[in-house]
Amino acid sequence: MDFVVYTLINTIFVLLISPLFMSLIKKVKAFVQGRRGPPLLQTYFMMGKLLKKERVYSANTSLVMRITPYIEIIFILVASLSVPLVFIPQPVAGIGNVILFLYLMVVAKFFMALAGLDAGSTFGGMGSSREMTFSAIVEPVVIVAFAAMGLVLKTANLHQMFGISLESALITNPAVLLTSVSLFIILIVETSRIPVDNPETHLELTMIHEAMILEYSGPDLALMEISHAVKQTLLIAIPVNILVPWGLTASPTVPGVLLAMISFALKGSLVAVIIGFFESMFAKSRLFRLPGLFMLALFFSFSTILFELLS
Amino acid sequence: MTETIVFSNIVKILFVFVLGTAALVITRRTLSSLFTIYSIQSWFIAIIAMILYLNNHAVTLLLIALLTVASKAIVIPAVLRRIQFSMNIKRDLEFRYLTPIGSLLVSAVLVFLVYRLFSQYLLTISGDSLLLFGAVIGISLTLMGMLVIFTRRKIITKILGYLTMENGVLLFSLFIAELPFIVEVLIVIDLIMLIVLAAILAFGIDSTVEVFHEKLNSFTNWFRDE
Repeated sequence: MDFVVYTLINTIFVLLISPLFMSLIKKVKAFVQGRRGPPLLQTYFMMGKLLKKERVYSANTSLVMRITPYIEIIFILVASLSVPLVFIPQPVAGIGNVILFLYLMVVAKFFMALAGLDAGSTFGGMGSSREMTFSAIVEPVVIVAFAAMGLVLKTANLHQMFGISLESALITNPAVLLTSVSLFIILIVETSRIPVDNPETHLELTMIHEAMILEYSGPDLALMEISHAVKQTLLIAIPVNILVPWGLTASPTVPGVLLAMISFALKGSLVAVIIGFFESMFAKSRLFRLPGLFMLALFFSFSTILFELLS
Repeated sequence: MTETIVFSNIVKILFVFVLGTAALVITRRTLSSLFTIYSIQSWFIAIIAMILYLNNHAVTLLLIALLTVASKAIVIPAVLRRIQFSMNIKRDLEFRYLTPIGSLLVSAVLVFLVYRLFSQYLLTISGDSLLLFGAVIGISLTLMGMLVIFTRRKIITKILGYLTMENGVLLFSLFIAELPFIVEVLIVIDLIMLIVLAAILAFGIDSTVEVFHEKLNSFTNWFRDE
């Protein structure tokens, strides 16, 4: 019963809050560039508009193109159960496991790459090729970063990790601080942000993520965009809930859950603002320079393991 | 008891930052940001010395902190910026033997090796984990500085390698073998001399050693002709 409530609340909350962070990042970037930027609810309006439009498919596409948006959103939403945003439920077998969480997201990514290839356009193929290349490089880094976090917190379950951080203030733990640097870099890489990818352009030189979803239209595009936003929220939530778990509750009471929602919205917005400034500070890197960024994350993960061994 | 835990945690967090700056010194290409990173690294080390002073009230530590701030966080970066300004290069894009990615991997391995070596001996001397921590980070910083000297080609970034090495030695000495203050002062004077000499060299040789060799070779040919 508890878990059913958790599933409902967590899924609805993550779907509702994710577009907010998307537009907040755009707003911050516009502010830095001296523009007014879109209103904060713009992404919600866009989703609403897209859901009302018709689907257009190329004549060359196969079933993959049609089912990918659904697979995408389903896998990401199942993965989102591993990351409690408002309260931590009683343990359920398998849910919350780090490996499961990561590979659910990778399956979603795999299908997105397939869909990019499916229409047979050169743009999509190029995007898929780049995405898969980078995911092959970044995957070991992600695994090492999460393994380091697991070593520090002595568990491979995200629910338990959040529970531990709720009991003891981990912000003073140097090893956790180090992993959160790696996690931030992973967040930037996985959500295709500057300096890895430019989410604003449809210019072939810079595109990775946008190239793959170029063929989509209408509700399908909305699903792809929402799953991308949810993925970003999940990756924001992991470092936030481990470093500053304030507000997260262990028991589902109505005021507790409301407070947790508000506090997560505030903390997540803060991270979104930081991402916005981070994006404004850097230019898009050259493609072959990017492994340097990944290696920085790997280095910090290695140092985390070392710090854990030392103390 | 809780006070010492808080104290050692603060110092460890500062170690995290020092390690981060060292990683950035290896990878960054823009000279002005390299100088800023070095300055920040020196600030962190000065703060570590300051915290150690607050903990055990040895005046030498306070003096070391002040000296570090004055020389390495303010004067040396300013001099370096001046040199860069007159050399008119903004970025160091040339790497030898190892790319920045390779150097980062190598330095991760080096940190592990240092840890393996030190944990065997130091924990038998004293059970204090902070001591071991400081020693490992200090020596790793020294080795990462060497890596910078090894992989960079421009003289001005090589200097940063030497400076990083010196920071590592200082960090090591803060925790393990306390140097007499006068030695510390001499080291700082040496550093300033190093920078001045390097500046003269850098101007003479158009900023890379290879160009300098070419120039020298032309001189030998010149003499041979006579």
